[in-house]
Amino acid sequence: MGDPTSGTDVDDGSLSTVSLTLEYPNGESPAVDGVSLTVDPARITALVGPNGSGKSTLLKGLSAQLEPREGRTVLDGRAVATYDETELARRLGVLHQEMDEVARLRVEELVAHGRYPYRGFLERPSEVDIDAIERALSLTDIERLRDRPLADLSGGQRRLAWLAMVLAQDTDVLLLDEPTTFLDLRHQLAVMDVICELRDNVGTTVVVVLHDIEQAARYADEMVVLSDGVVAARGPPAEIVTADLLADVFGIEATVETDSQGVRIRPVRPLSPPSHDRSL
Amino acid sequence: MTSEDHPPVDRFAWITRELGIVVAGSSFVVLVAATLQLSFGAYPLSAVAAWRTLLDPTVLLSGGAWHAFLFGGPVPAYETGTLVTWTIRLPRVLVGVLVGMNLAVSGAILQAVTRNELASPFVLGVSSGAGLAVLLTVVVFTGLLPYLPLFAAVGGGVAFLLVYGIAWQGGTSPVRLVLAGVIVSSVFGSVQTGLFLLLEDVGVIQSVVAWTTGSLVGADWAQVRMILPWTVVAVGAALLGSRQLNVLTLGERTASSLGMSVEHARFGLSGVAVLAAAASVAAAGIVGFVGLVVPHIVRRLVGTDHKRLLAGCVFAGPALLTAADAGARLALNPAQIPVGIVTGLVGGPYFLYLMRKHRDFGGF
Repeated sequence: MGDPTSGTDVDDGSLSTVSLTLEYPNGESPAVDGVSLTVDPARITALVGPNGSGKSTLLKGLSAQLEPREGRTVLDGRAVATYDETELARRLGVLHQEMDEVARLRVEELVAHGRYPYRGFLERPSEVDIDAIERALSLTDIERLRDRPLADLSGGQRRLAWLAMVLAQDTDVLLLDEPTTFLDLRHQLAVMDVICELRDNVGTTVVVVLHDIEQAARYADEMVVLSDGVVAARGPPAEIVTADLLADVFGIEATVETDSQGVRIRPVRPLSPPSHDRSL
Repeated sequence: MTSEDHPPVDRFAWITRELGIVVAGSSFVVLVAATLQLSFGAYPLSAVAAWRTLLDPTVLLSGGAWHAFLFGGPVPAYETGTLVTWTIRLPRVLVGVLVGMNLAVSGAILQAVTRNELASPFVLGVSSGAGLAVLLTVVVFTGLLPYLPLFAAVGGGVAFLLVYGIAWQGGTSPVRLVLAGVIVSSVFGSVQTGLFLLLEDVGVIQSVVAWTTGSLVGADWAQVRMILPWTVVAVGAALLGSRQLNVLTLGERTASSLGMSVEHARFGLSGVAVLAAAASVAAAGIVGFVGLVVPHIVRRLVGTDHKRLLAGCVFAGPALLTAADAGARLALNPAQIPVGIVTGLVGGPYFLYLMRKHRDFGGF
């Protein structure tokens, strides 16, 4: 009551945090420290920052995997903590950074698991389920791999299969933790193209943690730079990616050029000592 | 509507040719083992005579006889062959079928819950708890000997709760559960061995050994009555939970982002598995290897889907156990050896073979 963030229950994939503070059970200082952030619906927001800056942790806070010490995450007008698990899984899909091995599962079976939050206790997959599975397979362009066990696939194909499972969840919001890391260029482009297609055609809200700043700058509508658990900068990539930011946050000397392709970063050398890094 | 209208739906049909083969093959093995069990023994019958006795309408359609079998009480008077078949040999086969079913289903569940294909029904401390309870009853609480099966099951359940309590740190993980199982098993095992030294009567020692290796010697309708209801509950609950098991094998983070309450599902399903294992312990003692090997073999044949896997286990578990028990009864005839020794002798080398043959052995 009287809380501006808990009023109307809308269903447009709007996601925000209110002074969100997250910490791990054994952590000394909070991994994310009082972050208030509004993610634009139907846009791609990239979370970037050096190792240990709290990107992945913030993503866990957004998806209610970590209970906040303070503050909260609000999805479609309601705190995520108040959703029941199934309800949340229908609105918010998460692609984790590392997936557990399920070598003998076939691609199609894996993708079908994305329908788990929709299916009743004993129900067979409905037409809607089948459609969602087929759509996910075709979006990620892995239809021809459907009968292959995951063990037979390359790392990139496997990532696409897991992405397809998350897409089959058919959520308004997608949270992706380093979906392109360790992939060859072709599969990196394939993954990012899928994400852009979802934004453009379905209006999906995407929050993606990316390691590669250039890649983030190229695909993201909005970039959030984290440093030591707080937001160091945010805005359109072309505006915020500057030599100063790279020096302050990433601790590197670099030149930055902006052209029609996006932002081009040419790293020169690491700055030492890393005055920005409190954790050392 | 023709089948062409819905080809994709049929892709998700769960009854496959492979499952059919497992069911048919297992049923055949059970029938052969049952025929052997029914005909051999101190009162020999030909296979035909044994089956004729089994299909004898004066027993099969007799309300009084079934009442005696299923609820206890005096069995109506029949000729010796009929009595031997119906009150001694058949119940032993049935107990074997039910124990095999329970152990295989229990193993399949625990392998999924712990995400470890080398997990067995006894990985969460059930066997050590049951074994300790058996020895305590035999050595300390001798007055409670008639309740031995009950105590064995309760001991298994208590050990499971203890394992869960040790593994719990604001949540569990497969690794912590397995480690806690190892800890509890080794401590209980030590106490159990210590108690063994207090035993002096060779007969008692032999019966304790039979319990802790698993035996169907002397199993009759009382054991059937004891294990049947729990088998129905456990197998039913396991099949209902098959989708949860599928999603759990994707890993807990994925299961959780798919909307599953992982801790609830894990505890509930482990509980079902422990119930099944404890019921089998109460009926036949601790029969090793069935719960480890059967889900493994079935998974190789029907794939990782748990509805299919569990359905396969419901048939393949009885096949292994009844075949092993036929061996246990007939190998050194007239001496009988505990069935657990046969399952260990057959299961161990088979496991070794699998391990040598398949490099990806142990992964889902």
